[in-house]
Amino acid sequence: MRKSRWIGVGLTVSALVLSGCSAGPAGTNVAQDTKAPLELWTRTTPGGAGEQATKRLAEAFEKATGFKVQVTAIFDDFETKLAQRAAQRDLPDIVMNDVTQVGTLKSQGLVREIEQGKIKHASELTEQALKSNQTPDGKLYGLPYSAQASALLIRKDWREKLGKGVPQNWAELADLAKAFTTGDPDGNGKNDTAGLNATLSTKRGYASWYFSNFLWAAGGDFITETGGGKYKPAMSTPESVAAVQWFRDLGCKDNVIQPGSVTMPTPATNETFEAGKAGMYVVGPYLLPRFDKSLGKDKYEVVPMPKGAKNADVLAEGLSIFMMAGSPNQAGQDAFGDFAISADGQKIGMEGESAFIVQLPVNKNVDITQVRSDPRWKTYAEIYAKSGHYAPSIPNWTPVRQDTADTISALVADCKLDLKAELSKLDTKLTATLQQQGISAS
Amino acid sequence: MTVDHAKPAAVGADRPAVKRTPAPKARRRSDRDGKWWTPWLFLAPALILFVYFKFIPMITAVTMSFQDVQPYLGNQWVGGQNYSTVLGDEAFHSAIWHTVVIAVGQTAGSMIIGLALALLMEGQSKRLKFLRSAAFLPVVVPIAVVAELWRIMYHPTEDGMLNSILGLVGLGPSGFINDPDSSMISVIITGIWRGAPYDMMIFLAGLAGIDRGLYEAATVDGASRWRKILHVTLPGLRSVFSILFVLAAIRGLRVFTEVFLLTNGGPNGSTEVAMTLIYKLGLEQNRLGVGAAGAVLLFLATLVLTLFVQVLRRRRDA
Repeated sequence: MRKSRWIGVGLTVSALVLSGCSAGPAGTNVAQDTKAPLELWTRTTPGGAGEQATKRLAEAFEKATGFKVQVTAIFDDFETKLAQRAAQRDLPDIVMNDVTQVGTLKSQGLVREIEQGKIKHASELTEQALKSNQTPDGKLYGLPYSAQASALLIRKDWREKLGKGVPQNWAELADLAKAFTTGDPDGNGKNDTAGLNATLSTKRGYASWYFSNFLWAAGGDFITETGGGKYKPAMSTPESVAAVQWFRDLGCKDNVIQPGSVTMPTPATNETFEAGKAGMYVVGPYLLPRFDKSLGKDKYEVVPMPKGAKNADVLAEGLSIFMMAGSPNQAGQDAFGDFAISADGQKIGMEGESAFIVQLPVNKNVDITQVRSDPRWKTYAEIYAKSGHYAPSIPNWTPVRQDTADTISALVADCKLDLKAELSKLDTKLTATLQQQGISAS
Repeated sequence: MTVDHAKPAAVGADRPAVKRTPAPKARRRSDRDGKWWTPWLFLAPALILFVYFKFIPMITAVTMSFQDVQPYLGNQWVGGQNYSTVLGDEAFHSAIWHTVVIAVGQTAGSMIIGLALALLMEGQSKRLKFLRSAAFLPVVVPIAVVAELWRIMYHPTEDGMLNSILGLVGLGPSGFINDPDSSMISVIITGIWRGAPYDMMIFLAGLAGIDRGLYEAATVDGASRWRKILHVTLPGLRSVFSILFVLAAIRGLRVFTEVFLLTNGGPNGSTEVAMTLIYKLGLEQNRLGVGAAGAVLLFLATLVLTLFVQVLRRRRDA
């Protein structure tokens, strides 16, 4: 009995020692080995077209430089899995993910700074794409390799059947949404279509992501820079309130947003559009191949979002290559980034009708019209250049996106909520977040 | 003292004396128990796995709950700050309340329906065996599939599966998981649907252990079916109830997957439970220390509840 107690004590102490041993910082001064294979994670569906395209890029890179790359595609809970690997202090060498992650990754020390001098083709990057990867101090923590902006997808066959034009302003947009909802545009005799398809789940902050297409065009903002890298919350300004009110009315008064939107992440929302249950969808170009296949190219059209109260700004996004901390092959990381942003790398990334990972090129020397003949891509490129609006580069955008998503989703889910009071509460939360990040103006 | 608790020597003392040569003390112990380390040897594989995959992570989580966790920048000790952040967070308070509501709702619902199913399906008939297996299916279906099935059934328009049934009786359509007023009960119903068959099987095992003579005696005394359930079946299932209560309550407190997949805590935080909030804090917002503090608090709550039920049970048995 006494011995078994000692064994128990021994096990507990061992566990404490082991857990204590693993609590120190790591990963900054790792011995370098240029022959070490690079583990690359990309946020795309495993076995899908995005994975194929990434592997194609990796193969071309291996052939050109001699470095070895192992590609892993992960879609669901990508950031969660990355956080788990970070907790184990065993990050992949390269991560290809949304540019909005740059602040979070930097503040957690999960990425290393990129020295532009070591990236030969960095000077060829567009200013817009490059800036989106810089933190407020001007340092570069990610390399852009793809850009995109949102456009309005409309069921052309439905619109023509109902005798409506392409909406030129928000009133016409709402009018078309109402017609799609009540006018039986699919002709099945049932009241089973919605005007607008929206991703309003709080998962990953999708509701905020989606709503930004309306907020900025109305002159509102999530947070506003007051100068010197300081920010104040802006969801209670008259412009933001008006934008939220207008969008909420689509759901609460006009009932034109697809049922179940408040619990739908992007996969379910995409399915709603391609199943012919919704007539309009504000989304990036990466879904065109999918909808061409499932819905038919002739069934829908791609047009710029109509102008709001201020302008036609839409969400601009980018995909970036992050050089993760603790890599034993930093030379390989730099070489991969340099290859991916070069004109050759960009063209390889754009190859194919569906299996491509570069939506809009970020290299000034690549003209999309010469690579893709489909005029819809030109539409997207023009929207990105004229109206693309990136989320601001703050230390950590994730909590801002999540808090705003919670409120937007709640206001559409519960039409009884006091809109101004909820937005005021949201601003209080945003102030706390900004203070926590040391960038609050107040 | 019950016979179970009596020392073997004391039991042996009641037996008729048997003449045999007393063996040396050490040898007698060795014959009966083997070497002291023999049971540890058998336990070793499981213990090593448990230590590595369960206990070390648990201890690490406790350590992390006192730190600002930044694996690549170096963790900083922050004392009880993570705990005060969690305990001072309104979202955590409402998440705890939602967790309790779900735990109570699912536990009570699963036990009542599980008992009703067990009473209906008790017996030896082959048809009943088939029915029991069919009723048990929800337990073996992966929770992700269950959540997706219920999401489809909860479709919030008139042509949704459950709404079309509600429409037949002149009700609805309900928003189910999409409406903050009905989301909680919708999640609870999904949990009951999955948990009741599990409870049913344990009740069936308990029912088999009840002395049939008691039923016969009750019949002779002219007891109605309801009286038999009240005075024979329910007292006979007392230990089953306490086991099920502990299991279901722990399951309820740790509820995560169905909430995460059905609502992700929404809409408007109406179904946010402790586990989904801990997940969001720890893994989505990368605040692992705060998330760990929430997890430790949940662990303590579960531990207290389990001990409370055990003490209550022992007092009743005493």
